[in-house]
Amino acid sequence: MIRSRTLAGFSSLLRAELADLFQYRIEMFLYGLWQVVNPIIYLVIWSTVVGGGDIAGYTRDDFILYYLVFMAVSHLTLAIEVYTMAPSIQSGRLSPHLLRPLHPFWRAGALNIAYKAVNLMFLIPIWVGLALILRPAVDPDWLGIALFVPSMVMAALISFLIGSCFAMFAFWTTRSMSFWDIWMSLTLLLGGQVAPVAVLPGFLQQAAVVLPMRYTVGFPIEVALGRVQGAELVGGLAIQAGWTVAAAAAFVLLWRSGVKRYGAVGA
Amino acid sequence: MIGRLARIAGAYFRSALQEEFAYRGDLFGNVIRSVLNLGTAIGGVVVIFTHTETLGGWTLGQTLSLLGIFVFVNGFVAMFMSPSLNRVVEEVREGTFDYVLMKPVPALFLASARRFAVWHVSDIVLGAIVLGVALAGLDVRASGWGVLLFVALLACGVAIVYAIWLALTTLVFWFVRVANVTMIFNLFFQTGRYPIEVYPFWLRQLLTFVFPVAFVTTVPAQAVTGRDPSWLVWVAPVIAVVTLLAATRFWHFGLSRYTSASS
Repeated sequence: MIRSRTLAGFSSLLRAELADLFQYRIEMFLYGLWQVVNPIIYLVIWSTVVGGGDIAGYTRDDFILYYLVFMAVSHLTLAIEVYTMAPSIQSGRLSPHLLRPLHPFWRAGALNIAYKAVNLMFLIPIWVGLALILRPAVDPDWLGIALFVPSMVMAALISFLIGSCFAMFAFWTTRSMSFWDIWMSLTLLLGGQVAPVAVLPGFLQQAAVVLPMRYTVGFPIEVALGRVQGAELVGGLAIQAGWTVAAAAAFVLLWRSGVKRYGAVGA
Repeated sequence: MIGRLARIAGAYFRSALQEEFAYRGDLFGNVIRSVLNLGTAIGGVVVIFTHTETLGGWTLGQTLSLLGIFVFVNGFVAMFMSPSLNRVVEEVREGTFDYVLMKPVPALFLASARRFAVWHVSDIVLGAIVLGVALAGLDVRASGWGVLLFVALLACGVAIVYAIWLALTTLVFWFVRVANVTMIFNLFFQTGRYPIEVYPFWLRQLLTFVFPVAFVTTVPAQAVTGRDPSWLVWVAPVIAVVTLLAATRFWHFGLSRYTSASS
């Protein structure tokens, strides 16, 4: 009963956010271009650097394919909570949402999904267009493609939960954005944007395998392209599941202590 | 007139400084942010150079010099330009831009030099350090003329950035809910992290003539690292003056269309 009420609430929130964001589709599109331009920079750099050979098993075609998939995955796993939740915590606009019979993060989740959905109408043509222009050779790995879906869902979840945690830093500091900047630049290096994790030098690679950044964007791509196999694949999915649980725990803890503090400040 | 404007800008700057020191804890967080951002940026460049000797003809040291310039300019823009111009976007949306127009100083001045994000000074300093260290490793002999040329080119680059930013901000007079200008600008500015020679021909043209990032990082870096300066060195001042004039004209044109919020 309670579950179905939550779901009904969530789906009407989702419809409302979709209708709202659709009004601002051009603005949303400009934000969405981030997930196109950045991968293109590294696509260009690596396809120049690799030349006719290969780096850690990645040929020119593989780099192109990697960054094309990266565009889609980084859009679909993007966390926008620092831009949506943090300002409403800071300004006090969170208050009315605390009175509703639905946890405020359902609304944040609806907004997150709506943003991604609205942008797809621009981004899918761009992705398809780029794929048609660049035409990388594809050798499909069906197991990887099948496992891509759960890995992608976990990545989006980790990303949303961690993004929300950073947004909740706004309960304590006025500059939650600074912390988010740090997280993003670490994700840039260790999450698979600057280079696929396999291309990173030894110690960075070891760090990337353990830390959560890779599991918010790079790992699903590696799974889809069949870059991780056997024990590595199973281990990676296990680590990803572990980070999903850890992120959820951090989310719950931060919310409980943060919302108390919010009341105490009287914002 | 100039003296008076300078005094006003100085007063705004002092108030920004005082505000900053009221939140010293945040200041510390910002320094950490700058250091880590820079660390990962350098890490990215080093990762690329573990697999190649040169990138678009640029060596590791030269590319790091360019990164230093990028971080420096980025910090400069974030400290001196974006806070004021972003405020304009908010004010036009809320209608409070009326108060700016009522003040007895040019609106363009208030729109450009009212707010400062002092904490970004850490980016400016770190960018300069990276540039200095990279240059020391390159062993380029700096002549007085060379330094002068570099500073002039850097100034041109900053002027171009200001012009682009002002033009983007001016769009708010037509599209009240103009997107976050910082996001749009940074989106294209990211391409300036790497030398322009890396990109394919069409993108290079785009980044030279349409969104002239080339003049902001690549051209000054060419001059300072002792690479053969391209003909772009001589075009930079022309582009700077033209974009500045065009942007201010566009601003005044946009301003004449301002109809306040509630009407």
